[in-house]
Amino acid sequence: MTYGSHKGSGRRGWAMVEGETGMRKKAQGISLLTILLLLVTQVTSGLAVDLASKDPRTMRFPTVDFNPPDADRVVLENGMVVYLLEDHELPLVTVNATLRTGSWLDPADKVGLAGMTGAVMRTGGSAQMSPEEVDEELEQLAATLSISMGKESGSASLDVLKKDLKRGIQIFGDLLRKPAFEQSRVDLARLQALEGIRRRQDSPGSIVGREFAKLLYGGRHPSARETTVHSIDSITREDLVAFHQHTVHPNGIILGVTGDFEKTSMLALLHEVFGDWAKGTVPDVTIPAVPETDFKSSAVRFVNKDTSQTHLRVGHLTIKETDPDYVAVAIANDILGGSSFRSRLFNDVRTKRGLAYSVGSGLRASVYDQGVWLMRAETKLSSTQEVVNRFVANMERMRNEPVTDLELEEAKEAYVNSFVFSFTSASSIVSRLMDLEYDGLPKDWLQQIRDKVVNLTKEDIQQAARAHFNPDRLRILAVGSGEALSKVLAGFGDVKEITLAPES
Amino acid sequence: MINMKRARMVACLIVVAALTTAPSHASSPSLADRVIEHKLANGMTVLMVERHQAPIVSINMTFGVGGVNEQVGQTGLAHLYEHMAFKGTRSVGTRDFEKEQAVLDELTQVGTELEQREREESARAQTEGKASTFSPALQQLQRRFKELQDKAGEYVVGNEMALLYQRHGGVGLNASTGKDITRYVISLPANRLPLWASLESDRMAHPVLREFYKERGVVMEERRLRTDDSPNGLLYETFTSTAFQAHQYGVPTIGWGSDILSLTPAATEAFFKTYYGPNNATVAIVGDINPKEVIALIEGTFGKIPSAPPIPTLVTEEPPQRGERRVEIEFDAEPALAIGYHKPTIGHPDDFVFDVIDEVLTEGVTSRLYSSLVRDKRLAASVLSDTNYPGVRAPNLFVIAATPLAPHTTAEVEAAIYEELERLKTEPISAKEFERVLNGLDADLVRSLRSNSGLASQLAFYQTVAGSWRYVVNARDRIAAVTPADVQRVVTQYLTKANRTVGVLVKKIPDKKMAAVREVQP
Repeated sequence: MTYGSHKGSGRRGWAMVEGETGMRKKAQGISLLTILLLLVTQVTSGLAVDLASKDPRTMRFPTVDFNPPDADRVVLENGMVVYLLEDHELPLVTVNATLRTGSWLDPADKVGLAGMTGAVMRTGGSAQMSPEEVDEELEQLAATLSISMGKESGSASLDVLKKDLKRGIQIFGDLLRKPAFEQSRVDLARLQALEGIRRRQDSPGSIVGREFAKLLYGGRHPSARETTVHSIDSITREDLVAFHQHTVHPNGIILGVTGDFEKTSMLALLHEVFGDWAKGTVPDVTIPAVPETDFKSSAVRFVNKDTSQTHLRVGHLTIKETDPDYVAVAIANDILGGSSFRSRLFNDVRTKRGLAYSVGSGLRASVYDQGVWLMRAETKLSSTQEVVNRFVANMERMRNEPVTDLELEEAKEAYVNSFVFSFTSASSIVSRLMDLEYDGLPKDWLQQIRDKVVNLTKEDIQQAARAHFNPDRLRILAVGSGEALSKVLAGFGDVKEITLAPES
Repeated sequence: MINMKRARMVACLIVVAALTTAPSHASSPSLADRVIEHKLANGMTVLMVERHQAPIVSINMTFGVGGVNEQVGQTGLAHLYEHMAFKGTRSVGTRDFEKEQAVLDELTQVGTELEQREREESARAQTEGKASTFSPALQQLQRRFKELQDKAGEYVVGNEMALLYQRHGGVGLNASTGKDITRYVISLPANRLPLWASLESDRMAHPVLREFYKERGVVMEERRLRTDDSPNGLLYETFTSTAFQAHQYGVPTIGWGSDILSLTPAATEAFFKTYYGPNNATVAIVGDINPKEVIALIEGTFGKIPSAPPIPTLVTEEPPQRGERRVEIEFDAEPALAIGYHKPTIGHPDDFVFDVIDEVLTEGVTSRLYSSLVRDKRLAASVLSDTNYPGVRAPNLFVIAATPLAPHTTAEVEAAIYEELERLKTEPISAKEFERVLNGLDADLVRSLRSNSGLASQLAFYQTVAGSWRYVVNARDRIAAVTPADVQRVVTQYLTKANRTVGVLVKKIPDKKMAAVREVQP
């Protein structure tokens, strides 16, 4: 029904660039019932005073503490882990699965194999049903079912009305266990993948994101490598069958079930659908580290594309999520550019100077792979140099002086007060538990993070900035009108052009 | 886009009522019974739904103003005001408003004069065929402008309003401007509602247009990002302005670039005074609330704001289209296609028929256009449709959009789409297709209740564009009453060659020769 971001309506006022800190959140506290009672009391007492005369700058409220319901964890005999959390508000059931597979397993000459396997698991039918029968039945039930592959994991999800629960989970199980990979759907997926390649240079935003990953990780790394016409053409139906057989096993699956069901009968149904699925050998996620010599140096690159703006990315590889400095770096990034309106980059580049609509910084980290820290903006050619200068200056300021007491207080309050939004639904609660287990992190990982945030000092932040915002390693990439760009960027280092091979 | 989803959402009032009568969850009454409506004496409408699952609340404040309310030469004004609404008030966002105001007044005066003179001198230079060099008097103004801008900046507490929301745990703070409406949204921990009421009633009563000229620059960057550098953005801007030649729906909401750059603080202030009165506002609040207390809170804050005069009515109507319009947009990007047919908007009986057509053609992988063009013939990589483009307060377009799958062309895809439209006449939609449409509709209605912010958005939307959130209570039944014969009649009446506009994105690689790998020395 919708067709993208181009419609006349719905112009965004501003962009929440790179979202929040990116840190996973988890709340804790007293029981739900107590909370609700407390809340009513608070609101009542809050409203008892003359609010009309209250200054919003001095208003204070107690922290909303909220103990979300806890999920049950059950392990089936074949090793499949199941989280269950009932939520009877609406007659719906959601099933999410995380699969211990992913595109990191793609052979170098068959990049795209995992992605195509995921796509055709969904579209290619099962041992019991043709592709058309699957599609017909799911849409007649108004159920949604998706399967896809990421770099470090695969995922599958089902959303179904309570009345169709059993049928929905049967189809879901069939597609996970016994996908048929019908040839016509393999061909369709190949054509779609090739069309995706043809179209991936259409927009400067797509080019800058992909080329920046290559500039940081190198073009052959699992976090940056891309499909090619050749790699897609070389993938056969037999490759998909083998990839599924070798990587999708019950003991590599974490299942999360939330919604309007009853636990005992749900477990019985899951036993029926998945119980006789034999264990297999599950690969541990292993992503090669980029050699230090390859990311220690800085670089300045541009891509020549006929655009009205320069699309900028400036940053470097960084730590994993499990690094002891992670929380301090995340809050340093939050203050620098990760918190939209509140951040320094937003205030400096957008609000004060009017040079960009979308500007900020981001920290992306996982437990398996080196993370990326970057600053980004899109600005007209004539202000490109000024924006890069502001990036560098703001980064240096984070390194050279402590953040203000107020900035740190704001960052902490924002983090603690918005914590409750990470637990607004049964499915968000269970998804987080699944992610933590998949990544081998303790269940109280997020409580640990919150405690660390609360205890951070200005010195911690500055130390993290000095250690992890590194001017000697900055990689600068600009996509825009090349002739002038190379001159504009010349002050930042030895400028080289990245020439893109035509994709069509 | 909006309409079908909106229709679904609010019709859920019925569905949920039916579903929740089952014994297992008999506790929750139907949504229709849960919406609490309150109207202030100044005309502001408040809609509330209690949901106590988590101690949070979502608020959607919607004003009945958008791109359609702009004058020629001032396109983009509704959207620019929406940006300016984040700049604060007489108390928020400033270190000393009294001193700041004096500087802002002079800045406005100098800025307006400066821009007027710049335009005049540029025009004169152009007529005389000279390079544009500004006169000493003008250069003096430029210096003064810069000084005042720096001075004004000294009083600013940047983004203070947003910062307050963030400190208090607010998430999803945003705003959007459409053809018909402008919306301001936030979700907060439920006990922070007094903060919201204080900040929002203040900006409804006393906004200050500080940092105006900088923010205009931000909006220009937004236009470059969304439209000028986006193949789809440019395709839809051109396509839409071709389809609407008289009605304001043809004008891009973000504004034409030259208009944006000439918008003035005075025009922006006047726009605010005309369209941002409480009588043009609806606020929907969904979450862990006590409605009685919320009403008291809102009466004590917004209730003090006087009503504004009724907003001016719109007069321009789009004349009937007499003949196909075709337009091409050249861009360095793979081809795409958009086809639009003029149609009546919500409230008209035929609009419900279009909802059915929309679903049958493109909803899901079993839909007619997807299964034919994408799955079977493999002419297209994607195909979508939208029954209420680009707005809902005036007659609008039914749009079908597709991207061809190489080596097939937009012409082939277009022909295949017309074949399927013909088939709607010759091969009436089946009982099974119709059942699928209704099942999908009912399920979406239930799903839309999952989100506080989604529900708040739906309620405020229909209250604003249709006069009442209850408008859609009947939508599901109206859609259910559509017959295959209705579909055949509507296809024959509206989906004609003479009534359509076709926009085609055509690949054009810039002439610039790109060298092979090339190094540039600093």
